[in-house]
Amino acid sequence: MIKYDAVVIGAGNGGLVATIRLLQGGYKVLLVEKHNIPGGFATSFKRGRFEFEASLHELNDFGTKENSGDVRDLFDSLGVTDKIEWLQIPEAYRVISREEKLDATMPFGVDAFIDKMVSYVPDSRPSMEKFFALCKEIHAAQAYTNSVNGKTDQKVMLSQYSNFVRVGSYSVNEVLKAIKMPKKARDILNAYWCYLGAHCDDLSFIHYASMVYRYITKGAAMPKMRSHEISLAMVERIRELGGDVWFNSQAEKILTDEKGVCGVVLKGGKKIETRHVVANCSPHTVYGSMIDNVPENIVRAVNARKFAGRGYTMFLGLNKSADELGITNHNYFLYDTMDTAKQYDIMKSIATNEVQATVCLNRAYPECSPEGTTMMYFTTLYMSDDWANVKPEDYVKTKEAVAKKMIERFEKDTGCKISDCIEEISIATPMTYARYCLHPQGDIYGYESQYWDGLTPRLMMMSEDHDEREIKGLRFAGGYAMRLSGYSSAYFSGDISGRQTVGDIKREG
Amino acid sequence: MAYRFKKQIFGFMDLLRFKKMINIRREKLMTAPATPLPATYTVNDTAKVLHPGKQTAKLIEVIQETADTKTYLFELSKKMIFRAGQYITVTAKIGESEVTRPYAISSSPLTALKEGKLSVTIKKAGFFSNWMFDNAKEGDTFVLGDPSGNFYYESLKDSKNVVAIAGGSGITPFYSMAQALKEGNENFNMTLIYGAKTRKDLIFRDALEDLQSDNFKIVYVLSDEKVRGYESGFITKEIIAKYAPENYTAMLCGPQAMYAFVDKELDELGIKGKFVKHEANCIGTRDVAPKTYKITVHIQDEVFEVKAKSEETVLVALERAGLNVPSKCRAGGCGFCHSKLVKGKYSIAGADKRRLADEKFGYFHPCCSYPDSNMEIIVPKG
Repeated sequence: MIKYDAVVIGAGNGGLVATIRLLQGGYKVLLVEKHNIPGGFATSFKRGRFEFEASLHELNDFGTKENSGDVRDLFDSLGVTDKIEWLQIPEAYRVISREEKLDATMPFGVDAFIDKMVSYVPDSRPSMEKFFALCKEIHAAQAYTNSVNGKTDQKVMLSQYSNFVRVGSYSVNEVLKAIKMPKKARDILNAYWCYLGAHCDDLSFIHYASMVYRYITKGAAMPKMRSHEISLAMVERIRELGGDVWFNSQAEKILTDEKGVCGVVLKGGKKIETRHVVANCSPHTVYGSMIDNVPENIVRAVNARKFAGRGYTMFLGLNKSADELGITNHNYFLYDTMDTAKQYDIMKSIATNEVQATVCLNRAYPECSPEGTTMMYFTTLYMSDDWANVKPEDYVKTKEAVAKKMIERFEKDTGCKISDCIEEISIATPMTYARYCLHPQGDIYGYESQYWDGLTPRLMMMSEDHDEREIKGLRFAGGYAMRLSGYSSAYFSGDISGRQTVGDIKREG
Repeated sequence: MAYRFKKQIFGFMDLLRFKKMINIRREKLMTAPATPLPATYTVNDTAKVLHPGKQTAKLIEVIQETADTKTYLFELSKKMIFRAGQYITVTAKIGESEVTRPYAISSSPLTALKEGKLSVTIKKAGFFSNWMFDNAKEGDTFVLGDPSGNFYYESLKDSKNVVAIAGGSGITPFYSMAQALKEGNENFNMTLIYGAKTRKDLIFRDALEDLQSDNFKIVYVLSDEKVRGYESGFITKEIIAKYAPENYTAMLCGPQAMYAFVDKELDELGIKGKFVKHEANCIGTRDVAPKTYKITVHIQDEVFEVKAKSEETVLVALERAGLNVPSKCRAGGCGFCHSKLVKGKYSIAGADKRRLADEKFGYFHPCCSYPDSNMEIIVPKG
């Protein structure tokens, strides 16, 4: 019988970090992955002369050696930072919205960001200063919360981080209106909302503010060799620490007995004995098809969750340079409207959704593709299961029609003509994401950051969720876990669940 | 900092709201319905039709096409569709080895989806195809892989007009495309320039002629005989220019020698870059002094020692030893055999198609790499 102290299922961002944490705790760990390469969505693929980034737009909260963010600090303690060559993203974003005739380009750095905002919206300075003051306190409160593993002292919270508690239950728009931010400034500031995938009337202010603050104070980073470089660096580190990584080895079942988890069965029948599993996959998948006889309270808790955005990405390799094409920015957000609730509804249908978060990687890293070429990727989210209505025989037509629409939208909104220069094209749809990571309905953002299920309540209830609504010996990492989705969040979830599992093993064996 | 946020008139209301978040969430989690969780989802089900993964398939008919070519028609066990032009892997147990080879699909996408049937057309040319030719018979069971490859029409990249240039058994993907055009599953104009030695070597000739239409034309080019109504010699720029429309994308499928020749001809016609697409060919043996090396292979928790010939790829050595290892394109491009080098040396056949970070961290593709020393490698399970 093969026996491990812990088995990590899935070599996505969360699973990779959890594995390193468990190995650093001194345990014997096996990481199993259904694909032949690690990373999950954090990967790259080649088409002709181009190596496309599969998913990473920009890594939040990484920073530089001198001004390091939490992700860099995490990578330092994992021992992977120096295995990767990093570059900095030049500017925060350019947001274009049709309804408001908005076109704003925003820089990194708090002072620069406020100054630029004032240049677009002259009376916005006081509210912008208040916004960043709130952000700073939220950031400090989160650091305190992490330092005590979520077990905060109410007195400390109220005396030192009272603003955190005061804004804690409100949505983005409720807080921004309360601090009297002019509408146009709110419109510009809310541009990042699609990165979290819940609209600003529902999205927790704390969640949004902590993300924006990390971007604006730490900038954004990118590995030179696409996110595949990070994923391979993590595997390298796992092997250095004596961990085992098995590729093409899908976990099909998690076995349980009266004490909780007791093993994992791989596709093909190989059985591994273990008392601890970190699952880098969705609870819907784990409790829906990997565990038999799931207790009713767990089924109810899983049924309560709402799937977040279903992903669609078009990758283009263009046979002209970004200069020739007139593409000036790295990161574009193209919206119909900055009324995010209205926009969210428009994103429910294949017929109406043209929203895009578009990256021209050459603007951050000119050498990412051969001289005289440009590499771009265009991402959108669907806020419903409209792709479930697409029949297999209509699939190609549908995905190409959406791609065409996205290209036309980009051309119209930016004035850059790209459609004649397509040398390589690849399209990922909800079906692609459903197949690649087995996520239900092609969801790429985990469970939606709805008001009731946002970052703060999830973190506050982390222990309760584990004790009351999970099988003993099982913890989750990745986009469906307590830190919600996105690269940095997934890494942090792996850190949390990995360290907590180390604690579990110490206590329980 | 003096600023204090207050949303409510009485600040403590904000604090109460904050505390209540836990109760609200707990309530939601505890009172949601207890309906069983779905085992699958609609989008995931469609994804399984687009990418069925490995499946067993029964050989239901073998059709002799020409003296050295046969079509093998399979009955599928999974519902599936593919892009006309894609290939599929066929796996058979030959002696103690599981041998896998990629072949272009010669049937149409809708035949697979609606009738559950799929065919590949194989020319007797190497170890596996010889075995198929001599042994495969109706009723036998094989394992088919996921439909793969990017050799298909791309509406946003390619010209609406495609000049399909086929050499010998390279006709296969174009035959699938011609059927897909007829059934409305693809939509472009195809001019097929089909090179073969003699009329007898033309595969699918009658079927192709039946498929001719406003958007599908055929030109035959025979290298070894001169016949009225047929072009003769090689596929030259004169022949291409004579039949091609004004703007077009050239798609080539055939032997490497044909690519070398036709690429030059196309270049002189000004057709290059994104307008020329090739189907990749499998990597064969290399011409070096014969030597035998030892490869230590880690697969999951097992370790194997296998012998490898210097002339053959690492993948062939693994297959010869009867190991179950992943392979798909056998041309270095798909990355399916992605493996880690622990120690040893190897050479890559042709262009290095790995990802940048693969090289940095010592990963390689056994299907296109020849051993240059004893090696130790970590290979995914097949």
